[in-house]
Amino acid sequence: MSSFGCPFCGPRPLEEFSFHKTLPNVPGGAFEEVYLRSDDPTDSHEHWQHRYGCRAWLYVRRNPSTGRILEVRQLTGSAP
Amino acid sequence: MSELAPRYSAAALLRARFDRHFWGPLWRRATPRDAYDVVVVGGGGHGLATAFHLARDHGLKRVAVVERKVIGYGNVGRNTTIVRSNYLLPDNFHFYEDSLRRYENLSQTLNFNVMYSSRGVVDLANSDDEMVMYARRGNAMRLAGIDAELLDRDGLRRFMPELDPSLPRRYPIVGGLLQRRGGTVRHDAVAWGYARAAAALGVDIIEECEVTGLSTAAGSATGVETSRGAIRAERVVFAVAGHTGAIGRMLGIPLPVETHLLQAMVTEPIKPLVSTVVSYMYGHAEVYMSQSDRGGLVMGGVLDGFPSYTREPLWHRLEEVVQGAVALFPQVAGLRILRHWAGTNDQTMDGSPLVGRLGYDNVFLNGGWCYGGFKAIPASGAACATLVATGQAPDLIRSFAPERFAAGRMLDEKGAGPFPLRQ
Repeated sequence: MSSFGCPFCGPRPLEEFSFHKTLPNVPGGAFEEVYLRSDDPTDSHEHWQHRYGCRAWLYVRRNPSTGRILEVRQLTGSAP
Repeated sequence: MSELAPRYSAAALLRARFDRHFWGPLWRRATPRDAYDVVVVGGGGHGLATAFHLARDHGLKRVAVVERKVIGYGNVGRNTTIVRSNYLLPDNFHFYEDSLRRYENLSQTLNFNVMYSSRGVVDLANSDDEMVMYARRGNAMRLAGIDAELLDRDGLRRFMPELDPSLPRRYPIVGGLLQRRGGTVRHDAVAWGYARAAAALGVDIIEECEVTGLSTAAGSATGVETSRGAIRAERVVFAVAGHTGAIGRMLGIPLPVETHLLQAMVTEPIKPLVSTVVSYMYGHAEVYMSQSDRGGLVMGGVLDGFPSYTREPLWHRLEEVVQGAVALFPQVAGLRILRHWAGTNDQTMDGSPLVGRLGYDNVFLNGGWCYGGFKAIPASGAACATLVATGQAPDLIRSFAPERFAAGRMLDEKGAGPFPLRQ
């Protein structure tokens, strides 16, 4: 994983992007949402920002075992 | 197979001089038996140390360590070999001090030279504000009888003359916090030493045996499913370092943990330059470095910044590490990098480990060590063995219980909140 396809800027180096958080994936209340993870080794749903680029907030699906990016789209305000 | 290596001593060395077949394998290659008192999943430092203490301190005769790859393959061979106990919070410094004391005597305990070197660990400060924070941490340690010294620039010069603190730097060096008993330990020797000592006490060390599931009946565990067949066990311990999250998934128990990578590397060997372990946090990056006995500069940095299992290099993080090293010692700029590795870190929601029961009364977890697992090995093994053998967590690890999150008793050394990346 060395580059990222930004929906606005096209392929850009990974260092321009910053990971924000893993999206909650354990059902339950606020505690589960904040503290617990069901670790999926092949499909992680995350928020990133193209911080050192166009600064857009992004929804990203990624395979943490291979580093492959499965989906990138703009965050629109309605979750996720 | 030739005979196992004997107990090391001067007499053994003399015997070896006249018998070139003298040195045998360090432990016998075990095949899984049908049933054990305890099966430890994971043949890294924590798993091996737990098995060793189960056999030595609690007299358990039927203990197995099952390892997916080979001994030394995982994080116990992918770290920067630093040991220290310079923490701020009492629950942390008491634990890590216990670990450091055990490291000081580990060569004698295991009858295996782990090359503990008390060369000191120095955290450099960039500003007067950081000096205040270091004074607070150092004072907390000294009140508990742990050695810590606050160094100004002159003190730094005296302690490590190789560093010129007054060189112009973007992040200046105004002083540091020194722990003289901190230092390095040869990581491979820790793995091999524990494996050999455990095997000598009758522990079966089963390599290339992957655990694929937990067998349960009537609400308790009955054993593990492995790539080499089912193994029955009275108790099961998971000590799988960076793959703790995967164990949670296998058991269907969500855990407060994410796996992140951390980059480290070693340069080509050079003449003695760096006399201590020096840690330099600058901006949002960091380098900590020491010189190996072979002469290579061993360096590591901060977490990559996103969850990953790939163990692949991340060039801009590697560059930050090198930038920090060159800022400290401009003369290392021309060195070549000999080797690089990335460690998988099971980062918890408060930066502290998870040691306790996992879902069942007879299943235990020893994990969540973040990027500090190596220095914790001896204390973790002893305390976890007591927990597994007696069912009671010793005081040393009581605050590491995974239930602390639900109870609101986080052990958050950095005060960073529930963000694994920032811990």
